[in-house]
Amino acid sequence: MSTETKPKAELYKRVDALWTTVRDQFAFLRRDPMAFAGMLVVGAFVFLGLFGPYLAPHDPIEHTVRGDGGSVLRLAAPSVDAFFGTTAYGKDVLSQFLAGARPTLIVGLFGGLGTGALGFTVGVVSGYYGGWVDELLMRLTDLTFSLPFMPMALLLLTFMTPNIWLITAIIAAFLWKMPARVVRSEVLSVRERTFVKSARASGASDLRTMLYHVAPNVLPIGFLYTAYGVAWAIAAQASLAFLGFGDPTMTSWGRMLRQVFASGNMRVAWWWVLPPAIGIAAITTSVFLIGRAYEEVINPEIQTDQ
Amino acid sequence: MSKFQRFLLKRLAISVLLTLIAVSVIFVVLRLLPGSPFEALVTSGNLNQEQIDEIRAMYGLDQSIWVQYVNYLGSLLTFQFGYSILRSQPVWDVLEPRLINSLILLVPALVTTAILSSLLGMYAGWNRGSRLEKFSIVSTTLLRSTPVFITAIFFIIVFAYNLEIVPALGMRSIRATPDGYIETFASLDFLHHYILPFTVAVLYYSGDFLLLARNGVVEKRGSEFLKLHRAKGLTEMEQLARAGRNSMLPILTYFTLRLGMIFQGLILLEVVFSWPGIGRELVLAIQQQDYPLVQAAVFIMALAVILANLLADVLYAYFDPTVSTSGGGSA
Repeated sequence: MSTETKPKAELYKRVDALWTTVRDQFAFLRRDPMAFAGMLVVGAFVFLGLFGPYLAPHDPIEHTVRGDGGSVLRLAAPSVDAFFGTTAYGKDVLSQFLAGARPTLIVGLFGGLGTGALGFTVGVVSGYYGGWVDELLMRLTDLTFSLPFMPMALLLLTFMTPNIWLITAIIAAFLWKMPARVVRSEVLSVRERTFVKSARASGASDLRTMLYHVAPNVLPIGFLYTAYGVAWAIAAQASLAFLGFGDPTMTSWGRMLRQVFASGNMRVAWWWVLPPAIGIAAITTSVFLIGRAYEEVINPEIQTDQ
Repeated sequence: MSKFQRFLLKRLAISVLLTLIAVSVIFVVLRLLPGSPFEALVTSGNLNQEQIDEIRAMYGLDQSIWVQYVNYLGSLLTFQFGYSILRSQPVWDVLEPRLINSLILLVPALVTTAILSSLLGMYAGWNRGSRLEKFSIVSTTLLRSTPVFITAIFFIIVFAYNLEIVPALGMRSIRATPDGYIETFASLDFLHHYILPFTVAVLYYSGDFLLLARNGVVEKRGSEFLKLHRAKGLTEMEQLARAGRNSMLPILTYFTLRLGMIFQGLILLEVVFSWPGIGRELVLAIQQQDYPLVQAAVFIMALAVILANLLADVLYAYFDPTVSTSGGGSA
């Protein structure tokens, strides 16, 4: 019996500890009003990304809004028929806004996670092994630094049909260098600590030492850069879409802005500009504010007094 | 050879190697692109096969890919970029004025923001917990994390469309026909067009410098040398000046790195403001499949980054004695 209950008890303890961590994080964010506001915005954004397309009153691309006489409502100001007004092509701005959150969420989330995971792995391996592995990986990051992201992404997207996963992959492929460098320099200092050395001395393999002794100690900074990765990915996706290199089959906020800009209606149709512009600005800023709040805690050097 | 010289030599070799690899990647990516601008000419039916061959030979497209590659390497590294296909003008003649237009917008903006935001950041860090610190952090975070084209759109809507203080587009008014750089830039009309994109660029980059400076001063605030200065009886401002001076290095390094990335970072700014710079030209060239122009523009952007990285590493190693010059010196 006891052999069976023991791992179970251990499991409960772990789940419990995890839950406490989550609660602590929440309590921590509540203390910082800006970070808390950021969290509310992120929550609302995730909700929009998941359910926005179902909430949209009309299909964002197919449906054309028509007035009383059956004529197409083009560039109509917000009214009862269309709460957020209509576009130059007679489409419902509210529906486009609601549906447009999803590609933004997908690219932001997976681009950010990909950036964080890739950068974290490279950083840990590079810093832990040192020597020629480190040299090789760091020169690789130098190379991705010297290939300018935006022009290269535009080039790649001209000969591959843009779709949302391709854009996500390109973004992660260019952004991983940021966390990689920071994580590596953290690992360099952790590697020299006594507990890592004693783990090695007591016969732990490289893999085990990296996974159980080094990685947990640099995880916070990895998470922080994953959060920044999310904001960068969202900004990059919106920028690409604005230049006309977005997924042509999906309505995204960046694409909405491109359409206003390209159709030359920015001057009149404020109702068409503001929802996607405010949406993008709000979500990227919120993610950064949450990151900043954590950075204050993670970075021991700026925690002097106070 | 001193340690520093060895470091310098190694860093230089790496930069040269990186340039070669970056240039090769650009070559491969460009050859992967389907179609060519000639296809439009061919399908229009206005050319016969002989003329097509002649044009292809003129651009060296009839040779094997390896010969093309070697020629390409040679010409790029000697800054001979060939002819723009669509503008039928040497690429450099197209790019040079665009490059100047970009530099004249972006370099003063970066310098301005580096000085102003760093000073503000130091002051904010010194007064940690004050309302000024909180406000400056939130506002610069907003400006830094929002994609630059969205900030630009907001500014255009407010200052150009509603208040109608400044024009929304372009670098000179349409009627202006200036001759030469001096006539182009030394005019009130230019200044009128300049102020809005300049302001947006300054604000966009303010966040990084502000936070770097602020964190630097916060780190220094509890340190021993400041206690000494306080004991000596220096005023608050004098103490801040000393704490600030000691946090200059990361700011200087960061400034150098930013300078290298300046062309690629603000492509969208140029697009929104229709500023005739190198970034906007690149986007147009990609859309029109003008490869010689594209490869020259991407090459210039990559080269700028590589040179700036080199400079930043060397500066860091030179000024900071604690940095090991044996490798991995960049922060």
